[in-house]
Amino acid sequence: MNSLFTPLSWNDTGFILTGVMNTVTISVLAIVLGTVLGLIVGFIRAESNKLVNMLFGGLLDVLRSVPLIIQLVLFSTFVGAAGIPLDPFVAGSIVLSLYTMAFMSEVFRSGFESVPVSMQTAARSLGMNHWQTIYHIRLPIGLRAVFPSWLGVALSVIKDSALVSVIGYMELLRTSEQLISRTQQPLEILIGVGIFYFIISYPLSSYGRYVERKMAI
Amino acid sequence: MTYEFHWNVVFQKMPELLNGAFVTLHVSVLAMLLGIVIAILLAIAKMNNSKPFCYVATAWVETARNTPALFQIYMAYFGLGAFGIHLSPYVAVLSALVFINAGYLTETFRGGFQSIPSTQYSASKSLGMNSIQVYRYIILPQMLRRIYHPMTNQFVWSILMSSLGILVGMSELSGTTQRLQSLSFRTLEFFIVAAVMYFIITKLVLISSSLLSRKLFRGEI
Amino acid sequence: MIRKLATVVLAFVAAGSMNASADQLDTVIQRGTLNCGVVLDFPPMGYFDKDNNPAGFDVDYCNDLGAALGVDVNVLNLTWGDRIPSLVSGKTDVVIGSTSDTLERAKSVGFTYPYFVFKFQVISPKDKQISSFDDLKNLKVGAALGTTYETEYLAYAEKNGWGTDNYTAFKSENDAFLGLYQGKVDAIISTNTNIATKLQSEEFEDFVAGPFVPKYDDVVGLIAKRSEGAWIQYLNLFLVHQIRDGNLDKRYNQHFGSDAPADLIQTLRDNK
Repeated sequence: MNSLFTPLSWNDTGFILTGVMNTVTISVLAIVLGTVLGLIVGFIRAESNKLVNMLFGGLLDVLRSVPLIIQLVLFSTFVGAAGIPLDPFVAGSIVLSLYTMAFMSEVFRSGFESVPVSMQTAARSLGMNHWQTIYHIRLPIGLRAVFPSWLGVALSVIKDSALVSVIGYMELLRTSEQLISRTQQPLEILIGVGIFYFIISYPLSSYGRYVERKMAI
Repeated sequence: MTYEFHWNVVFQKMPELLNGAFVTLHVSVLAMLLGIVIAILLAIAKMNNSKPFCYVATAWVETARNTPALFQIYMAYFGLGAFGIHLSPYVAVLSALVFINAGYLTETFRGGFQSIPSTQYSASKSLGMNSIQVYRYIILPQMLRRIYHPMTNQFVWSILMSSLGILVGMSELSGTTQRLQSLSFRTLEFFIVAAVMYFIITKLVLISSSLLSRKLFRGEI
Repeated sequence: MIRKLATVVLAFVAAGSMNASADQLDTVIQRGTLNCGVVLDFPPMGYFDKDNNPAGFDVDYCNDLGAALGVDVNVLNLTWGDRIPSLVSGKTDVVIGSTSDTLERAKSVGFTYPYFVFKFQVISPKDKQISSFDDLKNLKVGAALGTTYETEYLAYAEKNGWGTDNYTAFKSENDAFLGLYQGKVDAIISTNTNIATKLQSEEFEDFVAGPFVPKYDDVVGLIAKRSEGAWIQYLNLFLVHQIRDGNLDKRYNQHFGSDAPADLIQTLRDNK
């Protein structure tokens, strides 16, 4: 008979690294997709009338007011029941990206709206057309203003990606849970996981605060 | 779509779900209140120049902000368990949420306090107010206005994050949903109802918060 | 040329419509892979070996089923709660995961004949002195969330007026054992097989198996989509063959160190 509990060993390095890579992959994917979608939706919301705004607003509201863990289970069960089963990575990426989009769009919208109308009028009077105004004035100025908030959302996505474990994606936390089951050494493994997240997140969040301070002055 | 919905199973279990929702609300409110108290202390410690307090506060804030909530909850439950400290699932989730709330609110409070120019303090003093009056009538009202919104967001966040109680077997809304769906295998139905309940709870919180803010700040927010 | 194209198109349409009526059994054979869900935190039925590969009685049953079908086997790790979503969502073709065949669940999912029978048992530290189920009254008891033994314990506790204050739910079987090991609870309820396996390990040498949950046999089956009648028929025949061809004995020997007990085989034969 095989033994049930075996201590952590160097053989587990590859296994842990796969978990780390999976966490990084799904986070980067969700941040990139969430940013692109958020930019589009945020722009549409800043531009459009009340009705369109309300429609988008309602949808985004749902994404922001239901816990991610529930969204993940619901979505992955729902697509399956509808006959299009997705593997945990795809389902997780879609949900995490939309969730990211919901927060990003608000960030970008406030950025676009922060550019004073007088500045746009000035640009138009210099002979720029509508799109030139957007491209040369509103985008660069609006985006610069929201960089720290963007970074904040991106960081929370890295941390929230841990939840994709509930639908079976083998990211870092699920990997470590499996190791805890096998080794019965929760403390060592959990501390390792905590340090990993901290190492990724801390420099970025410090940088974000540095930029914020610089911009405030 | 070939799925047949069986809603009556869910309606039969409504009392249990509502009870779960109550636990969710309960733990998040408590986590918010305790978080605020600790955050005030940490903010004072951070703004103070006495080194040891400042270090503790900084370590707390950075750990809370830079690691996942899921990790904090595991740590409170099984991590502390390795030291022989046994928290119930409820207390483990509560302490993790308090830990994180305090970490985020500390920065909110500090930012709010620092955003009020110190000249206002001297000005009020020169008008003959004493320190308590300055804080009561000048500093705190302005500060509250600035931190009100981030605080509401933090509260909504803790309601949503309390759903992680599912992972340590806590009987809040998500945990109850998970148990009920395991027994009847009606996954979609139970999770849809849970999603709707979370939506209603957060909406109610946001609406009451904006009503309260109108009363507090007379529309000047 | 046009006629040729039309033939090709027609062939595709025909193939498409044939596919649409293909049932799960056809799908698995055509795909060449069996997606088999197993709960891998339930030794010795399912667990991870030291190389982090799936192992256990249920995993071997997946492989036996794959061999019978002549397809590759892809073992998916599930938690108790994942079992149904994974079937509904089509991630798994069958779940070999010790699923108790309750009538409530059978409204949602298709069960095969039983393939195993468990007893629910108490495990606790040696110094706790539990000789009957009633001794649990004032102890902190734990179990895995959403399992049949959780339901059984809670029903027993309610019947005897113990209340639920002493009860702790765990997300998974492993978390429950970890909780017991750490001392979060005084005793947990699990299956006799899991407890017997755990007691052989060094970590649990100070623990002892206690009384069984009174009057309850946990009869478990494989589960598949309820609508897949033909597939479930195939699975049923597979289970019969596991007994007849001696695979049950072989797997039982591997994981429990003896031939399958006569009463287990009798129960499985009676129940079908």
